Amino acid sequence: MTPTPDPEEAQAAIEYCYTRGWSDGLPLVPASQPLVDKFLATTSRSPDEVIGELEQVGRNCTVYLAAVNAAMAGCLPEYFPVVLAAFDALMRERAARGGGWQSTSGPAPMIVVNGPVRHELGFNAQGGAFGPGFRPNATVARAIGLIVRNAFGIRPHVLEQATQGLPGRWSICLAENEEESPWPPFAEDGGLPAGASAVTATLLRTCEFVDNRHTPDPVQVLWDVADTISRTGSLIFRDTSAGVVFCPEHAQMLAAAGFTKHDVQAWLIEHCGRTGADLRQAGKNGLRGIARFADADTSQDATFTRILPSPRHVPIVVAGARNAAISMVVRVFGEWSGTAVEVSK
Amino acid sequence: MPYPILDPTGTTASATATATKTRAPRAPRRRNLRGATVGLLVNTKQNAAPFLDEVGRLLIAEHGATGTMARTKVNFAAPAPDDLVKEMTTGCDVIITGIGDCGSCSASAVADGIAFEAAGLPAAAICSDAFRVTADAMAELRGAPGYRYATTPHPVAVLTPDQVKQRAAQVLGAVMKLLTEPE
Repeated sequence: MTPTPDPEEAQAAIEYCYTRGWSDGLPLVPASQPLVDKFLATTSRSPDEVIGELEQVGRNCTVYLAAVNAAMAGCLPEYFPVVLAAFDALMRERAARGGGWQSTSGPAPMIVVNGPVRHELGFNAQGGAFGPGFRPNATVARAIGLIVRNAFGIRPHVLEQATQGLPGRWSICLAENEEESPWPPFAEDGGLPAGASAVTATLLRTCEFVDNRHTPDPVQVLWDVADTISRTGSLIFRDTSAGVVFCPEHAQMLAAAGFTKHDVQAWLIEHCGRTGADLRQAGKNGLRGIARFADADTSQDATFTRILPSPRHVPIVVAGARNAAISMVVRVFGEWSGTAVEVSK
Repeated sequence: MPYPILDPTGTTASATATATKTRAPRAPRRRNLRGATVGLLVNTKQNAAPFLDEVGRLLIAEHGATGTMARTKVNFAAPAPDDLVKEMTTGCDVIITGIGDCGSCSASAVADGIAFEAAGLPAAAICSDAFRVTADAMAELRGAPGYRYATTPHPVAVLTPDQVKQRAAQVLGAVMKLLTEPE
């Protein structure tokens, strides 16, 4: 009989990590040099390469530190190229390079994985797309959170000032359901060729479901999505950005009616927005620069204000099971860079 | 145990370096503000501009400052860029920066205050009192543990113009102390 690992040794190591303040609240895998070496062996990048810098706090992240944090997050070594691609993708986001991690809004990265790497590494690309339950999806997202906490030093209640944060912070890593999507993969919208193993990422303020499983009319589905995108609570600037993670059923219904992804984006750009009266009722009708404020002026009450400035502000992904017509509006924090990063070995 | 558990923060070496570093420099204090030009570094948060304008107005009306020079940060989340610090250091005698009223901008208001002190100007950062911890953490990061700044009660963004003026008047004493009192 093979002896099982000593649980008391394991517990002591886990507790040690807690006492050092490295944990996000859940147990960490204690990282050792041989384990981290396996991570570093999956990439041709130098361990000393700086992959992200947060100038205002004087901290940066190297490939080595990313590997230690990915190991602690519970990643397998072979996930590491995906972690690196996800981090590269996030560092293309203006909010992630600026004050986003410190923000009162407590944004969550949304990581989207495309291409063969999904199956090679066992990412869940079907039901329960937002998790939990699958090691690659759960630990790649968690690795990003640990990098922000440990390598950047952004810790809750200190440099991280989230008022409430949001459910799913550090756990949203979707693999697109390319097999059941009627449209090209999301990474193509980010500029990569079809079939590429790629990661795309942005920051979210929340996810809001749109449950519409009884209408056969795709335009009614779009109106339902538009209502969720247009809610005033999320509008703080002149423009907003909200993606849609369509379930396969909604996506296929739209495609069958002739909607390309771009058509859906154009429809939402045209129909998402509020009247001046709606905005005034919520104290958000005035604009000072790009920020909304409560203005007593009623002259714009009848005017319909559109809120999505371009297709890049309406990223569209297809994920989840084909068992119900439930899609998700994903509220982008700032705006998506519009680029995807190839997973390289 | 043959292998140590690895540290994921990368700070061990630099933390030692910080501990041995001398404290961040503090500019010599003025005895008063008579004849001074007051730099107002506005961070674009709601009510920051009228708040700092009123502080500037009161420093002229009640403490003999001769004028103000207001500048706006392009990015409230980050510390002011070097060329802006240089411009205001050349054109001003003291600096007021704020209002620190969010996670990143409170921290960066304090970082700005510390940068102006290093450039030789007494500075007073004003933060909402809800962000003390993050402001203190930034001061520590910038080698200025215990850095003093002025606070005003949270929230600031919802105040009416008259309330903003009251708040400016309330914080004026603390601002004067920061600018004129030796440590």
